[in-house]
Amino acid sequence: MSARRPTVLWIGAGIVGCFVLVAALAPLLAPHDPRAISGASFQPPSARHPLGTNDSGQDILSQLIWGARSSLIVAASAAGLAVGFGALVGAAAGSARGVVDVVTMRVIDVALAVPALPLLIVIVAFAGPSRATVIVVIALAGWPAIARIVRSQTLSLARRGYVHAARGFGARAPYVIRRHLLPAVGPLVAASFVYWAATAVTLQAGLAFLGLSDPTEVSWGAVLNRALEHQSVYLTSQWTWWVLPPGLAITLAAVGLAFVGFGLEPRSNPRWERT
Amino acid sequence: MRAPWGLLGSYALVVLVLVTLNFWLPRALPGQPIETLSDPRSETFVADASTRGELQRYYGLDEPLAAQYARYMQDLATGDLGTSIRYHAPVSDVLGGRIGWTLLLVATALVVGTAIGMLAGVHSGWRRGRAADRRLVALFLALDNLPSFFLASVAAYLLAVRLGWFPLYGARTPFAESSGALHALLDVAHHLALPAMVLALQFVTFQYLVMRASMVGELGSDYLLLGRAKGLSDRVLKYRYAARNALLPAVTVATLHIPLAVTAAIFVETVFAYPGVGRLLFEAVGDRDYPLMQGCFLVLSIAVVAANLLADLLYRRLDPRTAA
Repeated sequence: MSARRPTVLWIGAGIVGCFVLVAALAPLLAPHDPRAISGASFQPPSARHPLGTNDSGQDILSQLIWGARSSLIVAASAAGLAVGFGALVGAAAGSARGVVDVVTMRVIDVALAVPALPLLIVIVAFAGPSRATVIVVIALAGWPAIARIVRSQTLSLARRGYVHAARGFGARAPYVIRRHLLPAVGPLVAASFVYWAATAVTLQAGLAFLGLSDPTEVSWGAVLNRALEHQSVYLTSQWTWWVLPPGLAITLAAVGLAFVGFGLEPRSNPRWERT
Repeated sequence: MRAPWGLLGSYALVVLVLVTLNFWLPRALPGQPIETLSDPRSETFVADASTRGELQRYYGLDEPLAAQYARYMQDLATGDLGTSIRYHAPVSDVLGGRIGWTLLLVATALVVGTAIGMLAGVHSGWRRGRAADRRLVALFLALDNLPSFFLASVAAYLLAVRLGWFPLYGARTPFAESSGALHALLDVAHHLALPAMVLALQFVTFQYLVMRASMVGELGSDYLLLGRAKGLSDRVLKYRYAARNALLPAVTVATLHIPLAVTAAIFVETVFAYPGVGRLLFEAVGDRDYPLMQGCFLVLSIAVVAANLLADLLYRRLDPRTAA
């Protein structure tokens, strides 16, 4: 298994790298402004519109290219927020122990038991589907699991000799967290970040698919939402250039990130040892 | 067995948190979504005066927060979930008409998904490492990574539109002439097949991997060697002996899928316009029908928590070591 891990990591990195490139070069790559009406509506693919146009005559390929940007921004910010907050809470609970730890774990247990998707839908519906709301809400769903992993790592690290030695020399908790615990849980945190980014891509697309995205934002999920509003999309060849490409883009981006996460996972993670 | 009070207590806490979130979210989030319902300048203004009156009474925003909460809990205890803006009817009535379809869909998907996952797992584990096993592992891992709404749309396009095997949406043929109960039953089953299949594929991978691992664990056992020495056929050894012993972990895993199934049902019902609670939630969000949306949220999330509790209790019954 260990021989294959670098291969998986490189395949994943290649896929993610392609998406990052597309997202960064979106203004150069996209043949049209994704919001502009650049042709007649419901045009089949042509040289001018490689993936045709949607119901209001916008170029679908350009929407997918700009959608990569939206997906990656949301994935990176949501995962960063979830992992940052989760790691902080986990490290604090693990090193504080006692009442703080018990209360934090209780909160984490309750947060993990609450089903995520219905709650996300209700929050976004009430707060309004701006990009910031979607990012915060996805992070909200992710931090408890990450906090739990980091806490257990912190607890096992805190028993090591060099941490005892540092404490013996009078180091306070913030110093121990910064100097010893965070570097030691680093690889685990990096893998969690990439995994959660993969989930965030699917979650953002799912929310947008349900109609919960900023109406001015161009994203893969929003393209799907728009396409599937028309039952006629199934009855003509439209499906193959209006539904299939964004669906494949979401899947490929999520799989690429999951591969990277799997490749980065440290050996000490029990999840890996089970596979 | 000791009564699991601690377990029940922690689940009761989760339900309390859910119920409180349901009360607190619309009041705490910016933009006063509920107040705009009775603001004539807002685009979500409710024109119907009697529905607006009902809404104002239900949310009671001019009272102090504690009084609102007390009244909300009181309403909840009597099953009053407010009035739907779109349907001009009590939310509990609207939900009542939809819950049955979601239960039917999720239950069918659980049975089908568990059966497929177990059979494929037995097959794969028995021929561990061979080409068939590797192909199955790759297939199920790929399935696991397809977002449910995309998988649903692919299935709808290929199986319902291209091949025409299944209806594209709905749960029954509308305005069908009644030609006997059997005919109606077949019609429901025909509409159910595709959404249930897609939903089943959402959790089949986990079931498959657990069954496969459990099967692999049985492979070297002495009883299989003895059976083989007695001249039993491969088939009997595989299904009657090894699979039967490998079943326990797989049974407990099956119950863990209920939360996943309920969540995925929101997407699958939406794609297939299946008239369950998930589709209702999607419609309520689109219509800004806040009381109905909150009702769907409560029903779906409490169903998930209840399923988790059931799984925990079942697990203790099946494996008493976990209760200690």
